[in-house]
Amino acid sequence: MEFTTWFGKLQLDAEGELEDYSLFDKNPQKLAVLAVELQENVQSVPLKRPDLREAALESGFVELDEDYDILLRDVCIRAAKSQISQTDTDDSRIIQAVEALDDIDKNVNELSERLFEWYGRYFPELDMTGEKLARFVSAYGSRANVPEDHELFEKSSQSMGAEISFADEELLRALANNICSLYDTRRYIENYINTSMGSVAPNLCNITGASLAARLMSMAGSLQKLAAFPSSTVQVIGANRALFKHLRSRAPSPKHGIIFNNPVIKNAPWWQRGKIARTLASKISLAARTDFYSGELEPSIKEALEKKLEHIRSTNPNPPRREPKPQSKGKGGKKTHRGKRKGGKR
Amino acid sequence: MSVKELYRGIYELDIDDRKMLASKNIMPGLSVYGERLIVDDGIEYRQWDPSRSKLGAMLLKNFEIPIEPDSVVLYLGAASGTTVSHVSDILTDGLVYAVEFSPRTMRELIQLCEQRPNIIPILADANKPQSYAHIVEKVDVIFQDVAQPNQAEIAAINSKYFLDEQGQLLLSIKSRSIDTTASPKKIFKEEVRKLESDFDIEFEVLQRKELDPFHEDHLGLVARMFVDEE
Repeated sequence: MEFTTWFGKLQLDAEGELEDYSLFDKNPQKLAVLAVELQENVQSVPLKRPDLREAALESGFVELDEDYDILLRDVCIRAAKSQISQTDTDDSRIIQAVEALDDIDKNVNELSERLFEWYGRYFPELDMTGEKLARFVSAYGSRANVPEDHELFEKSSQSMGAEISFADEELLRALANNICSLYDTRRYIENYINTSMGSVAPNLCNITGASLAARLMSMAGSLQKLAAFPSSTVQVIGANRALFKHLRSRAPSPKHGIIFNNPVIKNAPWWQRGKIARTLASKISLAARTDFYSGELEPSIKEALEKKLEHIRSTNPNPPRREPKPQSKGKGGKKTHRGKRKGGKR
Repeated sequence: MSVKELYRGIYELDIDDRKMLASKNIMPGLSVYGERLIVDDGIEYRQWDPSRSKLGAMLLKNFEIPIEPDSVVLYLGAASGTTVSHVSDILTDGLVYAVEFSPRTMRELIQLCEQRPNIIPILADANKPQSYAHIVEKVDVIFQDVAQPNQAEIAAINSKYFLDEQGQLLLSIKSRSIDTTASPKKIFKEEVRKLESDFDIEFEVLQRKELDPFHEDHLGLVARMFVDEE
């Protein structure tokens, strides 16, 4: 029986005793490459086998205990480092991009609000928020700089706002410039996600659109994980709180998580949403698996989805009668939960 | 300030009536994760925070920890190396194989390995001991702290391949990674039962205790392989 170790190939007899061996070259870099290969192509390991350290000493690979430690440590650090550098894959890059997008959204909103409050002291009549406001402040600074032919000239010259000092104007302009550049970065990232999702997960994009596809991937952790999820999980990714409330107490199960952002669910009447969410989730699973294992665009998934959606719409045109309350959108769960606890105390 | 040795290489410092767990720093001057360094009588100690380390919590819960200065330890679920660094402190003459699955945390662990001479990093899945059997020798102690639903099984297969007959298994079972909704007590009972009888090697549980208040819903456990006495 043969057993390959990090330092060489061992020939073992039936009792697991060392019969013969051939040693590898004692070069740490080469040994590290071999160690990673051995880890990826898992060998069958005999339970009865000699202790690695003893075998290395007996075969003369190393002479001293300490040499074994030093060399093995060197090899393993090199191996782990090379494994880490291999983990930068297309989907991991997209996931970073999606997360950067969320961070930018959060920060840009906060900064825009601050700009709105701050600049509002000097030009309260200005009816702008968000990117428009930032672009305006970045272009003109003080309202005194608005030119005569600008549509806001009248408003700005009659404003009740305070006079702005030079120092404050510079500060506000700098803030506005930063906000503008964040908006620009956001657009770059969006474009990046749209183009690279098309090549990483063509089917997923076809079903859900690039941004939702990227978001699903980011929440699952990778395309591989998303492909491995059952579609019932895909259906409720992003609805963690509602899901655990459902599992812990009597709250109703969530019908949809992040996939709610897809227009086919969002724009559907409430009584069709659950059915549509299930169908969509099942097609997302199919698409993710096709993307991960073949990578070819498969238009039949989208066609099947459309057909099924049409079927759902035509068979459920009217709201069901039995349910008296139409807004059973997860909030019902909260009520049931509270009601139950109160009932217990009485 | 007074210093009391709890086990070999593990100390209890008493500073102004406040007790703290510590290990003797084998790399003086270097703090690993922002822990306090305390010098007494020319010896530098690193504070060991039991609420960040399952092993630290087990020590304060009076577990018999079988790690000796010359032990060889297989550490499953090494994460970024908080506890591994203390194990490395204890093993002045030993070695710890640190297995971690996540490349993200392995990045930090590698930096620790480069500082310390007695940690061997392995980026692998503890579910597949065959994938690192070409690296790991027979070990005296397996310490396992993995957040996986099949924690008992992982402990069993790793023991089968690597644990010395006289060796011991230290296990931290996290009930929430098995089932978030069931009661932790039931889960612990079930996991102990699995260890004792479900696998092709059987374990004898020597000690078990919950790790609260340091870690909620965790069970600490020391076991050894059940060997037939002829």
